[in-house]
Amino acid sequence: MSMKKKEDHWSIDRRTFLKATGAGIAGAALGAFPFDSFTLDEAMAAAAQAGETVIPTFCAMCGPAANCGVYAFAKNGRFIKVAGMKESPANEGSLCPKGQASPQWVYSRERLKYPLKRVGKKGEGKFQRIAWDEAIGIIADTLKRQKEKYGPESLALLSPARRTYSDYLYRFLIAHGSPNYGHSGICVMQRSFAFMYTLGDWPRIVDYGKSDVLLIWGKQPIYSGPAQEGVRAFVNAKARGSKIIAIKPTVEPDVGLADEWVPIRPGTDAALALAMLHVVVNENLIDQAFVEQWCYGYDQLKEHVQKYSPAWAEKITGVPSEQITQVARIYATTKQAGIDTGNGLEHTPSSNDAFRAIAILIAVTGHLDRPGGNLLGPAPNKMPRPKSVHLMERYTQEWVDKLVYPEFPKPFQPFVEGTSSAYYGLFDSVLSEKPYPIRTIIAPGSQALVSTRGPKRVVEALKKLEFYVVVDVARTADMPYADIVIPTATPYETGHPFEIRGNWIMARNKVIEPLGDYKSIYEFLCDLGVKMGYGADFWGGSMEVSMNDQLKPFGMTIDDLRKHPTGIQYEPTPRTYEKYESTFKRKSPRISGAPFLPQAKVAIYNTSFKEAGFSPLPEWKEPPESITGTPELTMKYPLILSDYHTSKVFTASWQRDVPYLREILPYPTLHIHPDTASERGIKTGDWVRVESPHGRIKVKAELYPGIRPDTVMMLHGWWQGCKELGFKDFPLLDGGANVNIMYSVDPAKAFDPLVTAMASQTLVQVKKA
Amino acid sequence: MERRREMSTEYGFSFAKEKCIQCFGCEVACKSWREGEFGVRWRRVYNIWQGRYPKVKNLSASVSCMHCAEPPCAKACPVQAIQKRAEDGIVIVDTGKCIGCKACLKVCAFGAPQFGANGKMQKCDMCFNQADLSREFPPCIETCPTKALQFGKMDQKEKIALEQDIQRLMAL
Repeated sequence: MSMKKKEDHWSIDRRTFLKATGAGIAGAALGAFPFDSFTLDEAMAAAAQAGETVIPTFCAMCGPAANCGVYAFAKNGRFIKVAGMKESPANEGSLCPKGQASPQWVYSRERLKYPLKRVGKKGEGKFQRIAWDEAIGIIADTLKRQKEKYGPESLALLSPARRTYSDYLYRFLIAHGSPNYGHSGICVMQRSFAFMYTLGDWPRIVDYGKSDVLLIWGKQPIYSGPAQEGVRAFVNAKARGSKIIAIKPTVEPDVGLADEWVPIRPGTDAALALAMLHVVVNENLIDQAFVEQWCYGYDQLKEHVQKYSPAWAEKITGVPSEQITQVARIYATTKQAGIDTGNGLEHTPSSNDAFRAIAILIAVTGHLDRPGGNLLGPAPNKMPRPKSVHLMERYTQEWVDKLVYPEFPKPFQPFVEGTSSAYYGLFDSVLSEKPYPIRTIIAPGSQALVSTRGPKRVVEALKKLEFYVVVDVARTADMPYADIVIPTATPYETGHPFEIRGNWIMARNKVIEPLGDYKSIYEFLCDLGVKMGYGADFWGGSMEVSMNDQLKPFGMTIDDLRKHPTGIQYEPTPRTYEKYESTFKRKSPRISGAPFLPQAKVAIYNTSFKEAGFSPLPEWKEPPESITGTPELTMKYPLILSDYHTSKVFTASWQRDVPYLREILPYPTLHIHPDTASERGIKTGDWVRVESPHGRIKVKAELYPGIRPDTVMMLHGWWQGCKELGFKDFPLLDGGANVNIMYSVDPAKAFDPLVTAMASQTLVQVKKA
Repeated sequence: MERRREMSTEYGFSFAKEKCIQCFGCEVACKSWREGEFGVRWRRVYNIWQGRYPKVKNLSASVSCMHCAEPPCAKACPVQAIQKRAEDGIVIVDTGKCIGCKACLKVCAFGAPQFGANGKMQKCDMCFNQADLSREFPPCIETCPTKALQFGKMDQKEKIALEQDIQRLMAL
């Protein structure tokens, strides 16, 4: 293969290079054979040179959607390396550390190699190996028997973090006849629910390319997809001179790149948002025309927010009232300004209030679906829409009424992903048996003991639960309580389905054969579906038939798609703005089909919520334990504890067993302000004991200047050891590092009444261990 | 002061701190492609604090080896195991000669010398054996999502300026 002769493009002239450490080189990667970042031709040439095979596919190391394009290299059937795919619009050839570490994850000693059947007591973790078909048979027999005796609603499925297979999980539940999809009450739905019922849609895309002011609010724009478009947009906005204001309790690299830090107490974002509305309303910083034409309830809002002054909010949020006022003013008065909200606002009883207030703020200041603001709808393009795998059309009111613990109130079910019960609520119903007990829970790609608040109650529920099926690629924290364990293939061992990201569709291609006696999660659902008699809904058990069915609107089969190794990118079309008329008329997915917005206007005053018995305007609610809510606790527990949703090298509660990643963050680490630490004689590296009214953990301290002195924070999801590095598992309950045991699960205090978000804030004391 | 060698071109890394998102992609790309040993970090990503609460910022730095214009490690090595290549300025260690005394580590401002299970010094070598640097970039460069980390040819003066820049950054 001939090598292109290159000129010395990268011998950059001196002035440009010296500016590099200041202003940065606008450098395109040049060169015929770049190492670790390839085009298809380059990847194939590199593989040929090394005697390897190369497969274009998607990285598998994070979510929610299919993600970065990669070239996966294998030699003699062993997966050895990953390089970034230049053709991918998501990552444009770059990769984050997780992607680079992919082979280590695939070959982890924690991988499950064959199906297991429990032989000891629940919790003992004693299993015997069984064959795949036998495992399917046992599950099917149990489900058939329980369906007959208790009704299909006795089956619940836990929601993993959203993936392409989520809709296939829903499909199985619907084919079975159960509404109980246990959604986590942890992410995204909390946000989208509040936005949609206020604005008709969730304006999740912020126009970074044009924003002059950006509020990054409870969001981590870097860790959620470090190699992806969002990061480039963020860095480019900064380079363009956008003023970036980061609203969050601690300084992470995104705050380092921002212009201003608003150090807010965890769980108090609703108070901040309400105070910002107070400023906007009282100083009349509104888009008068928009409010008059497109808003319902502005007068009620004006009255309502009087009590939420910046001085009031300062006491609760810890943010100086002057800063609150300034941020409100700069946002409201800058024509092109956007608010990017994240998961940080989703774990508290005032979660829906915070998002509603922010939605209202975006609307009344005239930033909705305008250049530089929060945009409605995805970036349009000419791609056809594939046929959905979901069977949403089968939902009935009867099904909704059977939800064992609705994630959103029944009048608002189903929501956009389908009907859902709160994830934690499923376990609660096992214990309370109200309104009825769930009899089987299937846990695909999810570990309840680590991922939800209330692990102590989850353990009790798992001991009592009749039948628990864990479906995963590697050992999970819940496994000792499983009756059947189904191993599944990683996406690198899976050649289906296709994936879509924006205007790009590509087939998922298998890199290596499965390492044991297992199949993909898709095939598990197909096999189980067929065995249960739902074959007609599961394409006779064939993923190929399924994919071809889904691709019909594209006029091609999956084999046709595979002929485009790096997929197909459809032409983008120009975005339109101010799509108020159509958006505000959108029908909601609930059984009644009623529109999100009864007045076809922004629901500042929300009559839908009022009719259902909830507050029509956003309000402030305290977390179960907080400095201002429960001051009597602060003598014993003076500090606020909360946790991070994302991190630089791990996705959620997995990957702690991947050595290259674990080396970078080896220990569960508590971020603590140096002054707070020195008061307690604590230095970086000391093990410390953190105690709340509900539990205690032991973690390593890191003195962290970029944190509120009254707050400590750590990453959730610490349980698993790493055999290669000699790290053992941590205990799951008291004395371990599982932050989720620290929070209240009091039904009267810990839940957002509307979106069942569970608080991840509490009060703690920290001492040297 | 020693008379400087005549100006020559050599390879070097440059780093734009206002683009670095501290993702650690470069650090793990290096380990993954060069099959790095646990506990050894040829490339290291640093978090650097500035200011006092509430006016706190952090900066990021990605440093491997600066392949200095005048490498102090080469001077300090008692057995001349470290050499700067004339053809491209890359500083490499001959592990056969290395006695593991760590004198190089003491004088390096960047933490470049690493010591693994065998006690011999190892460090970034710009992937000169793996890549044709006239046409290719090392994996740390290629993987960077924001192109904060760059690679190219420069003269000695530019190299020295870069060394000082990174030293200042790390001293913060």
